[in-house]
This record gives sequence, C-alpha cells and structure tokens, in this order.
Amino acid sequence: MKVTVDMSLCQDHGQCAIASPAVFRMDDEGRLVYEGEPDESLRDEVEEAADVCPVQAIFIDG
Amino acid sequence: MTGTALDAAPYFDVADPSFSITSAAVHEARERSWYARTNYGLAVLRYEELNRLLKHPKLRQGSVAWPSHNGVTEGPFADWWDSWILNKEGEEHHRLRRLMNPAFSPKLIKDLVPRFQALATELIDNFAEPGRCEFISEFAEPYAARVIAIMLGIPEDEWKAVSTDAATIGLAMGVTLRQDLPKIEEALDRLYRYSDDLIADRRRNPREDFVTRLVEASRDTDKLSDAELRDGLVLLIFGGFDTTRNQLGLALQTFVDHPDQWRLLAERPELGGKAVEEVMRVNPTTRWVTREAVEDFTFQDLEIEAGTTIHLWTEAAGTDPRVFGGNPFDITAERKPHFGFGGGAHHCLGHFVARSDMSEALPLLAKRLRDPKIAEGAEWLPDSGNTGPVRLPLTFTPAS
Ligand code: HEM
Ligand code: HEM
Ligand code: SF4
Repeated sequence: MKVTVDMSLCQDHGQCAIASPAVFRMDDEGRLVYEGEPDESLRDEVEEAADVCPVQAIFIDG
Repeated sequence: MTGTALDAAPYFDVADPSFSITSAAVHEARERSWYARTNYGLAVLRYEELNRLLKHPKLRQGSVAWPSHNGVTEGPFADWWDSWILNKEGEEHHRLRRLMNPAFSPKLIKDLVPRFQALATELIDNFAEPGRCEFISEFAEPYAARVIAIMLGIPEDEWKAVSTDAATIGLAMGVTLRQDLPKIEEALDRLYRYSDDLIADRRRNPREDFVTRLVEASRDTDKLSDAELRDGLVLLIFGGFDTTRNQLGLALQTFVDHPDQWRLLAERPELGGKAVEEVMRVNPTTRWVTREAVEDFTFQDLEIEAGTTIHLWTEAAGTDPRVFGGNPFDITAERKPHFGFGGGAHHCLGHFVARSDMSEALPLLAKRLRDPKIAEGAEWLPDSGNTGPVRLPLTFTPAS
C-alpha cells in the first residue's frame, strides 16, 4: 500500500497520527512525518486516517 | 523587536462589556505586535503565529479550568465537564477521538445532504410573513437544532425540548454559572436520561444511523462505555447547536454588507462551501480558541510560563493583511485556511457536518431572500469569546 500526503494541503492537525499512530507521527516541532509504504495489515487504520483528516490531504494508492 | 517586549505589548481588558474583539483598536494592535496581553493571559493576533501556536506541542486545550475558576469543583456539572472530550488530553483524548471520529466521517455525512436541503426549504416556506423574518428564531435556531435531531435520529418535533435544555446548559458559559447551577444540572439530568434512552434503543434496534455507529464503534477490542456514550451525545447536542446557530447568523450579517456576493451565491449555489469558509475567515463565531501552556517555553522572543492561558484570536488572524492583503470578502477567492474550527488534536469533531449543513443552507437562503437588510431590533452577544446575533430581524425581497 502506498500513502501520500499532499504537504501543500496538510495543516499539521495530527488527526491522522491519532487514527493511525503506526504510520503517522508528529515530530517535536509538531510537524507531520509519515511512513510512505506501510504494511498491508495497517490498511484499516490508514483508511481511517485519510477519512478523518480535516483537510482531506491523505491519499492511498493500491 | 521592541514592539514585542512584554511591557510594550498592547493590553486589552476583554471582560469590559464595551470591548470588541474585532474593533479597529485590535486590528491596529495587530500591526504593532503579534500578541497582546489581556486580563486572562496572552492574546495572539497574527495568522502565522496563531497557526503555529494552535498546534504547538507545548500547549494543551485551555477550557478545562472554567468551572473551577467559577467556584464549581464538584457535582454532576463538574463531573460532566471533566468528561468532556475538549477537556481531555494525551492518550485519553486520543482514544475518545479514535472511537468517535468514524461516526463523523465525511462519507456518511454526504447522505444527509438532501435532508439538509429539504429542511432549509421547509423553514423558509414557513416564514410567518412575506418579505421579513426574525432570522434566528425562524431559521438559524430550528435549522441547527433539527440538523442535530436528524443526526441523532430523534423525531424532529422533539427538537424544541432538547434545544431548550441545551440553551439552559449554555448558561454555564456565563459569569453567573454558580447561581444558574441548579437549573443547569436539572437540564443536564434530562438530557442524560434522553441520551440513555436513545442508546438503549439503538442497542436493541440497530439502525443505519449516527447513534448506532457510535454505539457500535470499536477499535480492536475497545469500545465506548455507556457513560462515555451518554456524555458524548449530550456534548454533541450542546457543541453543535449554539455554534451552528451563531455562525449562520453571522453569515447573514456579513452577506447583508456584501449584496453582490449574496447575488453571486444565489446564481452559483456550488459556491456554498467556499462561502462558508470565507464567512468563517472574516466573521467566525468562535472569536477565540483557548490554549494553556503545559511547561515553560520560548516562542519568538517571548517567554511563556507554564499555566499561562493563551487565547488565539481567530478574526484578527483571519483578516491579517500579511496573509490576506486588503482581504476583500470574496467567495470565489482561493484562501489559506481559517481557524474557526480550531485545530490540532482538538480540531472540531463536527466540522464536516457543520460545513455540509451550512453550505447547503446559505445558497438556498440567497436564492429565496433577495437583497436582505437588517431591520430594527437586532440584539447581539458581546463581541468576545463566542459571539453571534440573539435576534436578527431581516427584510428582503421574496423569490422562489
Ligand atoms: C459552525 C459550527 C461549529 C463551530 C464554529 C465549531 C467550532 C469548534 C471549535 C473552535 C472547537 C475547538 C477546537 C480547538 O480547541 O482547537 C470545537 C471543538 C469541538 N466541536 Fe465544534 N464547532 C461547530 C460545530 C460542531 C458540531 C455540529 C459538532 C457536533 C456535532 C461539534 C462538536 C465538537 C466537539 C466534540 C469538539 C471537541 C473536540 C475535541 O476536543 O477533540 N462542533 N468546535
Ligand atoms: C461539544 C461541545 C462544545 C463545543 C464544541 C464548544 C465550543 C466552544 C468553543 C469553540 C469555545 C471557545 C474555544 C476555546 O475555548 O478553545 C468554547 C468556550 C467555552 N465553552 Fe463551549 N462548547 C461546547 C460545549 C460547552 C458546554 C457544554 C459548556 C458549558 C456547559 C461550554 C462552556 C464554555 C465556556 C465557559 C467557554 C469559555 C472557556 C474559556 O475560554 O476558557 N461549552 N466552547
Ligand atoms: S490529519 Fe491531515 S492535516 Fe493533519 S497532520 Fe494529518 S495529514 Fe496533515
């Protein structure tokens, strides 16, 4: 599974990191960092993260 | 940077009844300094600084201290307040969000659009007189309340009782919290019983609806307890009601001042979503979002001590000329995001609903109420923390 976040949209709200802490994380500065190719077993929570993002910046390919 | 030295910062008495948070004095202060001091703590006035502090790891949501500031430290009200998701932090907060978020999914809210449209049309059709209305009691309030009734799957004719209790609980916002407490706790008790009945009903008879989704919400083996469900429902009744009513009233205020934009919205209803964003940029009901420093830290040149209350002034930031130039009100413009729904971990849970219902209501209103003007008798909440019209009589040219 391939995950991309459109960083021109992302506002660092961190809702994705709440939904899927295994894939998304906020660094010490409060900025988003994420794993671009998470394991297939994480699909449900990654979909939840994409769903919940307030600015709908998360895209899942494949 | 002398303008940002602590003693040189502008000062506002935000408890003074004549204070206006959108006044020229505030806008001038923003040009001198990114922050001001107030009797509650710090106020942040500019877009970039607000955007950083809204999500800053050293800050938490700051409303938790309100009841105890007012001398209310125990009893049902204090308990309920503590249970409130807005007042939770860290893993406890994350767990509640994880369980509640899916019920607010934008995918599920899309299905409600035809019902929002039908509701708006019905309310406009039922205005008592042609060419005039009292916008709050004839539109904004029943619309906000019945959207919640639709979400909760309760009969829409029960909205009145529920919204009366919600309004009573709203007294808790005021400085008379202590005197109003018995009334508030009675209303809270009724809403609790109402919520318990709803929850019990959906457990027995699951439906394709919002309450069923919350009742069935689970993550791995974790679920919301009965107490969490009931606190959550009462919170939704409360959190979605005043806010939506006030924001719709403020939208009308802004459009009355911009008749060309109102006509444009009537012609191009697909601009409803952008109209909501543009209104919330220049005229947000939540005039400030509260944060509290968890530990000492330095931001820009300013040392902020643990425990400091920081109010993020959303209108001042939304009209910051550094970001929006001369910032004409323009529902076709591409804008940076506003802060009317707060942000970060506590970002409004109900924003997809609020955005969707308001972006259906506004174009329908624009089409039916041509050339609206504010008539005699408007009454307003103070222009501070949360604001909006209490009464908003309008005259207009009716159209179909
Ligand atoms: C125009 C309407 C609305 C406005 C302006 C609004 C605004 C806000 C703001 C500013 C916050 C605080 C965010 C922060 O501290 O950063 C918030 C939080 C919240 N809102 Fe909304 N809101 C609206 C509608 C709704 C609706 C319809 C619901 C529910 C159905 C809702 C439920 C909530 C909840 C539960 C929270 C707390 C979230 C948390 O702490 O994690 N709101 N809202
Ligand atoms: C989901 C439910 C609610 C939502 C979304 C909501 C929304 C808000 C927002 C957006 C603010 C200003 C932003 C902030 O302080 O961060 C606020 C402040 C406040 N709310 Fe509400 N509200 C809700 C329920 C309530 C209830 C039930 C009460 C009282 C019973 C209440 C009392 C207050 C008070 C006293 C403040 C000012 C606190 C302060 O600035 O320190 N709110 N609320
Ligand atoms: S929820 Fe959306 S906006 Fe927030 S950090 Fe994640 S991707 Fe960015």
